[in-house]
Amino acid sequence: MEAIKDFINLVSRPQIFFPVILAVFFFVFPPTERLLAINKKLGLYKLWTKRGGIILFSFLVIAFAFGLTDPHFTKIVTKPDNVPIIGLAFLVLFFVWYSMKQAWENDQRIASGLRPKEAEDAKEKILVWPDLVYIELIAIIGCTILLTVWAIILKAPLEEPANPTVSPNPSKAPWYFLGLQEMLVYFDPWIAGVLFPTVIIIGMMAIPYLDPNKKGCGYYTFRERKMAIAIFMFYWLVLWFSLITVGTFLRGPNWNFFGPFEYWDVHKLEALTNINLSDIIYMIWLKQQLPQNILLREMGGFLVLLFYFGCLPLVLAKSVFKSLYERLGVFRYSLFVIFLLMSIGLPIKMILRWVFNIKYIVAIPEFFFNI
Amino acid sequence: MDRRSFIKWLAIGWAAFAAVIAGYGSLILRYMFPNVLFEPKQTFRAGRLEEYEVGKVSERFKDQHATWIVRDREKIYALSTVCTHLGCTPNWLESDNKFKCPCHGSGFYKTGINFEGPAPRPLERFKITLSDDGEIVVDKTRKFQQEKGEWNDPESYIRS
Amino acid sequence: MDEQNGFLRKISQTQLAKAIFRTGIPRNRRQRMMIMLNSVFLHLHPVRLPKHAVKVKYTWCMGGLSFFIFLVLTVTGILLMFYYRPTVEYAYGDIMDLKEQVPLGIMREIHRWGAHLMVITVWLHMFRVFMTGSYKPPREFNWAVGVVLLVLTMLMSFTGYLLPWDQLAIWAITVGSNMAGATPFAGTAGPGSSLLALGDVNFITASSDARFAMIGGRFIGEAALLRFYVLHCIGLPFIIMIFMIVHFWRVRKDGGISGPI
Repeated sequence: MEAIKDFINLVSRPQIFFPVILAVFFFVFPPTERLLAINKKLGLYKLWTKRGGIILFSFLVIAFAFGLTDPHFTKIVTKPDNVPIIGLAFLVLFFVWYSMKQAWENDQRIASGLRPKEAEDAKEKILVWPDLVYIELIAIIGCTILLTVWAIILKAPLEEPANPTVSPNPSKAPWYFLGLQEMLVYFDPWIAGVLFPTVIIIGMMAIPYLDPNKKGCGYYTFRERKMAIAIFMFYWLVLWFSLITVGTFLRGPNWNFFGPFEYWDVHKLEALTNINLSDIIYMIWLKQQLPQNILLREMGGFLVLLFYFGCLPLVLAKSVFKSLYERLGVFRYSLFVIFLLMSIGLPIKMILRWVFNIKYIVAIPEFFFNI
Repeated sequence: MDRRSFIKWLAIGWAAFAAVIAGYGSLILRYMFPNVLFEPKQTFRAGRLEEYEVGKVSERFKDQHATWIVRDREKIYALSTVCTHLGCTPNWLESDNKFKCPCHGSGFYKTGINFEGPAPRPLERFKITLSDDGEIVVDKTRKFQQEKGEWNDPESYIRS
Repeated sequence: MDEQNGFLRKISQTQLAKAIFRTGIPRNRRQRMMIMLNSVFLHLHPVRLPKHAVKVKYTWCMGGLSFFIFLVLTVTGILLMFYYRPTVEYAYGDIMDLKEQVPLGIMREIHRWGAHLMVITVWLHMFRVFMTGSYKPPREFNWAVGVVLLVLTMLMSFTGYLLPWDQLAIWAITVGSNMAGATPFAGTAGPGSSLLALGDVNFITASSDARFAMIGGRFIGEAALLRFYVLHCIGLPFIIMIFMIVHFWRVRKDGGISGPI
């Protein structure tokens, strides 16, 4: 028992589970034909069948029930404000499975020359009264019952009165912002708190203009929109949902990382001595003092950024995204690739932090300009 | 009225309209910034030099004035308790000899220099002076930032 | 059963019932169509729909539930306002009283859990819309409106978080509002703000930056509580309603719920 818990504590460290997710993700949601072929060979698509769903969810429920045997896990999970996230976890995974199941079923129909299930249904027209209004009524009643029961069982949290001089340890943002708060570990507030949210909002609004694929409107499908769904799922599951989970359940006192079965020890020490890229370049490689001139000092970081946002889009346009570039045109392609590179910047920075202890690529604290 | 002057007047009219809208907009924006703030006083007296032990961090004024008073062998200085990352209040961990912020794990040495976690710059120091009757006065309206080289400013410390 | 129906029919034939409902009990096809057209509330819907659009399997009901929860939050929010005073002195005590001194002491619970639930349903609604490709032409604009509604939902929730004035509240808002202070050029702790200066005079200071506009002071205090209260109860609901009207209108105008062509 303890050995299993220790093992789970170990693998749930972001340094381990995050790269694992990154590695596995694109086989589960393959964006290209080649990856799709591997997916099929491995039989991963069977996850999106009834049987796969049952296995997936029984695994989840068993894991959760196993967790509840641990007093520490129970304590965190049953904290009133964390309950919605448990609900969210099950709902998100359920609906991912549910939509993917319908998508695979439709894909099979399309492959055998039929039209998607929805198209068959759509032939028949029905009256909103009573067929839709009754569904709505039932949904409303169900929702009301859920809310009432939830409100009776679980008291809304109220902590001590506000005290501006004592920060609770740990202090957490509302759970739906914990993804952002998790980003704050790796980026400065102006990026994680201002730039990224703005880019996320604009990027989401831009989706219809960046997805040139006319197919797949109005029915569930995966094959016809592999790329779009894979990218979206990457944000939705990896960069949003999993970061919220990490922020809620696995960040403890002093914002240290704790495994799900680990006691939240206030005095847990974690060496977090991070260095900037400029320190590495000048002090470790060139073995000299940092230059006085700020621009000279941060030249390396600027070059890295210039390559990342300047050259990489061009390279990608000629290689991986060749057909996409042709379909989107220069302007839309640039938008797409800049958004993509920005968001991939997050996992890249995470890995740089874990592997090389890099704090900033460009560090100009004099002007609060750190990247 | 000919076509040309019509377009001219149309342009002037729309420009005036835009100017008025912009004017209202900026007035509303300005409205959100009141002229008088009802916030507590920003200076306080912190007792005498002898009350502070060398090498210790005093948390006497943490709750009331959000200030730590630190005395080392050469200097006595007033550190702000506001984490430079996102404004939480770090805790002084005597045993580890560091300030540690509970929100995102930033760590600061006793001097206020940041050394771990996401904080981008050291803690700020406040203006600290001796009054005529020998009492320490901390003025929180004046801040000194290390990264701007302001910690050598004679107002940012008292010789001990 | 027959007798009841007879009774119902009798009521439905009174002058009063006819004056209010116009259509009467919808029994035949014509009446069922008329009831959708005659009622201002039901008129949100079309009269007829393709079958797939009605199936829970396709819609998950998430958009409708989000709207319903919004209504629940409006009602419970109004009820909560009767007992809550947005001042540092009273706020916390009023929340305590809501729990202990007010009958039906679960009003705050319904409001809080409802808010959480609404964030979840709005996300899932977005997810469904993505998975069915419903953002594609001609619905691009409505997708953008939906993104705005999603952001507004989270802002509503965020501003409400401060109101209980407990430790959870002020520290979550401290962290959140300090991010505003890091806005490039417009925040004191943001990049570039120190460049906006004439000689020694800085234009962007702790009492003139984006964070200040948000919390009305240099730290979370009386002014911040009042601002968040006004935004939470009036300001943001006002904006969110405008966007909701547009959103629902455009669902209909863009050809109703998406479906295979």
